[in-house]
Amino acid sequence: MLEKSSAVKRGVFSATVCSNKQIRERFYRLVLEFSGAGAEAFAKIGAGQFAQLDLSDTALPPVETIPDDLADVAERKILLRRPFSFADVTTKGNKTSVDILYCVVGPATLRMTTLSARESVSVLGPLGNGFWVPDGKKTALLVSGGMGTGPLQHLAKILTADFPDINVIAFAGARSAEALPFERQLDEISQQLGFSLPEFAKYGVESLVATDDGSAGFAGPVTDCISEWLGSSKSAGKSMVIYSCGPEAMLARVAEIAREKNIDCQVSMERRMACGISLCQSCAVECKTAGSNDTFYKLCCEDGPVFDSAEVVF
Amino acid sequence: MSEEVDISVEFAGIRLANPVFTASGTSGYADELSDFMDVSSLGGFITKSITVNPRKGNATPRIVETDSGMLNAIGWANIGLDAFIEEKLAALEKLSCAVFVNIAGETINEYVAVAERLAGERAIAGLELNISCPNVEVGGISFGTDPEQVAEVTSAVKKVAGDKVLMVKLAPAVTNVSVIAQVAVDSGADALSLINTFTAMVIDIETRKPILANRTGGLSGPAIKPIAVYLVNKVYNEVTKSLGIPILGMGGIRTASDAIEFIIAGASAVAVGTASFIDPGCSVKIIDGIKEYCVSNNISNIKELVGSLEAEQNAAN
Repeated sequence: MLEKSSAVKRGVFSATVCSNKQIRERFYRLVLEFSGAGAEAFAKIGAGQFAQLDLSDTALPPVETIPDDLADVAERKILLRRPFSFADVTTKGNKTSVDILYCVVGPATLRMTTLSARESVSVLGPLGNGFWVPDGKKTALLVSGGMGTGPLQHLAKILTADFPDINVIAFAGARSAEALPFERQLDEISQQLGFSLPEFAKYGVESLVATDDGSAGFAGPVTDCISEWLGSSKSAGKSMVIYSCGPEAMLARVAEIAREKNIDCQVSMERRMACGISLCQSCAVECKTAGSNDTFYKLCCEDGPVFDSAEVVF
Repeated sequence: MSEEVDISVEFAGIRLANPVFTASGTSGYADELSDFMDVSSLGGFITKSITVNPRKGNATPRIVETDSGMLNAIGWANIGLDAFIEEKLAALEKLSCAVFVNIAGETINEYVAVAERLAGERAIAGLELNISCPNVEVGGISFGTDPEQVAEVTSAVKKVAGDKVLMVKLAPAVTNVSVIAQVAVDSGADALSLINTFTAMVIDIETRKPILANRTGGLSGPAIKPIAVYLVNKVYNEVTKSLGIPILGMGGIRTASDAIEFIIAGASAVAVGTASFIDPGCSVKIIDGIKEYCVSNNISNIKELVGSLEAEQNAAN
């Protein structure tokens, strides 16, 4: 069994930007490289763990390139770090590089787009607990909504490398084809073959796409897609595990499907957080224990961000 | 050269190695910080608020960032007095810095119950009386804005606090902070800490709802620093200077320069709060920076700096 991976050697490290590639209108993939103690700290992190980036001194893009809907927030000076999980982690010699998939949504991610090669970024981490693999699993379903695909790409890499007996299938949902945060447009042939997303295909992982508006893949929410898939699957049940990351409403529905089908399910939660190291207590996730109606708060940063879906109160 | 500078502080009878604390509610129970700094290198450490019973805290969102600041509405989430004593005190006792416990309650009896239990604990140097929290429905700031209640809760806790230093944490948004400060001192406060956060609100203009689940939260961070410096200076001049009561100054401190401003304004020591969220080891840098400032300004003892604000305005401006 893969134990829950937790941050043991966390600290504040300086990382160097390797690349910062725009993959779709609002989506980018940032690659950071650590050396020394940072490389060691990030080399073996689990999928779903995260880090806090200090973007307060990062420059804004030129005014004319700022999307209209972000013109107001672009004026805001940022103070706090921002949490990001990783889409990939690779080690080469004594260096560790990490990929961050991000979407431009506010003043910090807007600044993030201007990071260029050789710039340095202050990274606090690694933080939190990632996905774990319970004993006896034969099939793993990776279910993402939008940007939630990031840590599931990292998980696909770990599962295929370390758990060859587990069959891994990825489900990626978004509002529309344009909102799918993947590098390449989908062509019909690869969709029919079921290996539509190169981010997963490179690990030999089958992937299915769902869009709410039907502009790519399955027409409808990814939760309907997985429901339908499970309905025709003979192996749904105890030998299966669902890993999910995405908007909370989607996670809630995934958790419900998992409960109905008696499938273990882990969800990566998101909360507004200031510190990421349990000082501020702001990232509370309401939880319950089986058989009790009493609820209590766990911290997304320290107890999560990955939780057993059965304990989360959605 | 720096060895010749004495930045140790006599604070209400306690000897502090240096004038830097971490502020309550921004540094957990101390173990959370240990990956990032040696907590013992601080002058003092203040725990998050401890209440008689455990508290879940408020619903989320509990924080929102603002320009140069943030609002929080945590709601005294803590493990409660019993668990605090059982699970956290042993580690706190090992720290060589002065440990203060921030105590809170909805009623005077609750404050007294916490203070009474902690008064006998060797690990603790002092109690910080939280009568200025803006984020709870009952208690908190309501005790800190009415002089009569300030007197009542302060004197009730003083009676049971034994030899622990009693530090009262003041709310900033009162008509005259010196009135509250004077009442606290008259009622037995050995030290004052100021300021707590300002009650504030951020609105989502699409939904026309406040962002925080609690509607309002306490504003902290660099945005409040100039007001905090002013209030420290006001209380120092009007209340504590003549009585020899020390002030723990706080509000938006991120750098040694910020800390030095507070000390010049009249604070005997300072506390670092929100800045720890961004750089959890920044207090150590602030201690070093204070020392360097003293060296380059020929200050051999930090005492010389406390309340050293010149009467005349800066001619260069």
